[in-house]
Amino acid sequence: MAIQSRDQAEITAVRRFAPVLAALIGLAVVAIGVMILADRNAATNLLGSIYEALGNTQGAADLERGVGDQVQAKLLLGLVALVVGVGGIWMLYIGVSAVVGLASPTWQGRILPWVFVVPAVLLLVVYLVYPTIGTIVTSFTAQTDGDPLANYKQLVTPQFIGIIGNNIIWLIVATGGSVLLGLGIAGMVDRVRREALAKTFIFLPMAISFIGASVIWRFMYEWNPPGQPQIGFVNAVWTALGFAPVRWVQEPPINTYALILIFIWLQTGFSMVVLSAAIKGVSIEVIEAARLDGASERQTFFRVIMPMIKGSIITVATTTAILVLKIFDIIYVMTGGRYGTDVVANRMFIEFYEFFNDGRAAALATVLFLAVVPIMFINVRNLRRQGIGS
Amino acid sequence: MTKRLWTTSVLAVVVAMLFVACQATNPSPSPSAPAASEAPPASEAPPASEAPGSAAPPAGEALPAVPTGYTELDTALGPDKPYNGKRVTIQTQWIEGEGANFDAAVAPLEEATGIDVVQESIASQHEVVLRTRIEGGTPPDLAMLAQPSAVIEYGDRGKTTNVATFMDPAKLNSDFAAGFGTALLTGDNGEIWGIPYKVDVKSTIWYPIKAFEAAGYAVPTTWDELKALSAKIVADGKGSPWCLGILDGAATGWIATDWLEDVMLRTAGIDKYNQWITHDLKFDSPEVRAALDVLAEEWFTDGYVNGGYQSITATDRLESWDPMFQPEPGCWMHRQATWLGPDFFPDVRAGGPGTQSQYVLGEDIGIMYFPQIDPAQGTPGLGAGDTLMVLVDNPDRPEIRAVAEYLATPYGLKAWIDIGSAQSANQTTPAEWYQSYKQQVAADIVGNSTSFGFDASDLMPPEANRAFWDGITAWIDSGGTGTDQFVQSVDAAWPQ
Repeated sequence: MAIQSRDQAEITAVRRFAPVLAALIGLAVVAIGVMILADRNAATNLLGSIYEALGNTQGAADLERGVGDQVQAKLLLGLVALVVGVGGIWMLYIGVSAVVGLASPTWQGRILPWVFVVPAVLLLVVYLVYPTIGTIVTSFTAQTDGDPLANYKQLVTPQFIGIIGNNIIWLIVATGGSVLLGLGIAGMVDRVRREALAKTFIFLPMAISFIGASVIWRFMYEWNPPGQPQIGFVNAVWTALGFAPVRWVQEPPINTYALILIFIWLQTGFSMVVLSAAIKGVSIEVIEAARLDGASERQTFFRVIMPMIKGSIITVATTTAILVLKIFDIIYVMTGGRYGTDVVANRMFIEFYEFFNDGRAAALATVLFLAVVPIMFINVRNLRRQGIGS
Repeated sequence: MTKRLWTTSVLAVVVAMLFVACQATNPSPSPSAPAASEAPPASEAPPASEAPGSAAPPAGEALPAVPTGYTELDTALGPDKPYNGKRVTIQTQWIEGEGANFDAAVAPLEEATGIDVVQESIASQHEVVLRTRIEGGTPPDLAMLAQPSAVIEYGDRGKTTNVATFMDPAKLNSDFAAGFGTALLTGDNGEIWGIPYKVDVKSTIWYPIKAFEAAGYAVPTTWDELKALSAKIVADGKGSPWCLGILDGAATGWIATDWLEDVMLRTAGIDKYNQWITHDLKFDSPEVRAALDVLAEEWFTDGYVNGGYQSITATDRLESWDPMFQPEPGCWMHRQATWLGPDFFPDVRAGGPGTQSQYVLGEDIGIMYFPQIDPAQGTPGLGAGDTLMVLVDNPDRPEIRAVAEYLATPYGLKAWIDIGSAQSANQTTPAEWYQSYKQQVAADIVGNSTSFGFDASDLMPPEANRAFWDGITAWIDSGGTGTDQFVQSVDAAWPQ
């Protein structure tokens, strides 16, 4: 009896002690992992030291000289990152939550939520809040010559008003175009026999990155001198119709719309899929009731279906609008912001990397941030109204 | 029980990782001897009496003689190899062939000193990656940059080292020619922020030699002869005089600004040219307008440019000279710097790297000097080049200085020169090193030049450079009618 109780006590002690140990081990794994990963030559050093331990000095020397099993070294480092990132953090959470479990139930309730939330909040502060504040501060302090508003004053010159104007054109045409087209297609394919096939084709461009799409469209818009064969698809069709070839990318103002077309081509699929799902969510009884009441197809769509999917339309429109405001890739690849196509995000990049105007780049980033906030607000409020995220 | 097992296994993993980590963060210095085939043996180091640049160097000589004139390089080349096993990183924009050429150029130093020079080639966005690394506080030890204005900007921000603190400024200034020299990289208080390395001569026009001979055309040596040739080509119905396409993505415009710079040197002269760089001569000035008139005549006259002037800004810069390689050339002259070469011949571009071209440089394709325009301004040359920045300089790592000093000697580029494609910025480079057709043409231009200008747009503030590129691109598209708009837009973009 006595022996048994001593065993019991031992087990209880282990049970109480194990979580603390697990937490410490988790912490150690994460710390060591970070130490390994922080080394700039981690990949080669790691495999190199293993090779050396195994006696393969030639392999280790090769690695150090930048030849040999470089790929294997990187894969090994990736494995370490995976173990540390997933395993270490996971153990840390389990351990810490177990440690909290040692406290009294009242305190557990108070502490536990914080234990789980604090790391995420900390990461947000470090990677989001701090840079945002830093950017705003920079916009008022860097290269201002004593006038805190100097960087913002430069943004009201005709050049920058033109750039901001381009963003507004993008916001209206690109957002409107892709959402309306998506809605129209979603409404129409609902009746098509091979709906899935039609939707697949329209959704397909979504799989392409903006960069990739821009490279593709550079060929689409390719211009060759009149009289020579047109390699670009658009100009090939255009000249076949009897017109002179147009330099779609270089000729303002048509070029901005030519770039917007790329965005619409990419993004319509997204609108279509979300809105198509919303339309399918409208119960058949409602639509049949509308029909029985004598509503035409058009009336059914605009008066019955549209109001019922309003929430989805707002979600799609705001999501697209945020994407449009931040548009960078297409401009950067197609024109680099030249020929009157520049937008705020591209200009910010140029001001920082090319012109070394940190302050003005920060001011542009702040303007972009302020422009996105109201749309974010609408988006979040809309989600909340739909019962998501509240 | 299972829990205990679990704990034990985790403990084992941790111990294993600890072991590995300690090994990884403290790598034991390995002797890392490069393969002997990579470089000539170090034992063939020249005797100390032979100074670099004296008589014709023996073919095997790959290293500067000690004393080299540089402290750390002398130490590094010492018999006890004090920097053996040290690693020095350098970020460059050279990939594939060019990257291998640079590796070959530093191989003799690696062989002789045991320093491991690690080239980090960034194929595209080299400047962006570099800026990110520098601002992020983890720069490479050294970096090559083609824009002197950016080098000076890094210097003003305290991000790069004043090399005059460890290298004799008098030696640097005498080693590097005025046109490419350290004067371009000097800070407000006489600091030298970079060391010129490799240069390209830009005052060159490429042409099809055999087609010229067959048609009975002579290589023009004056602008009047060139104008007569242009008119004759068109009158003969043999296509257009010029192959010209400036399309180069976000960098579109630089080929046209190079043209204008070459003309400015020839019509306004080097003094006005240098005032133009500092904006003491405005774009809206008779000198710049006169130079634009010279360009307009060659570019906008009907039939002078292959595909018409509208094609200039829409034709890829690498494809623009392809019609020159046809048996009946579609265009006859292509003004481009000496970085161009067989790697860019159309058959090599189509076949990929390593393809043997059917054309021979110097036999099928020739290079001529961009002719004189105003005899009063002599025969100027235009060039540009890469600059070495020392981004990490601390007493614990003298090997970085040693590598920088090596790259400041002609030997730092020798292997690249030997394969016939590079031109050193260092004036003490022995003329005998330049053996290829291209190098000799370039050396002749440099030798015969009455003045030498560095690429003006690369020296202008970046905003002005960009406005210059954009402006001249729009000016071309306007067919020369938008001159007022062009010159005023660049003046307006100049930072106050």
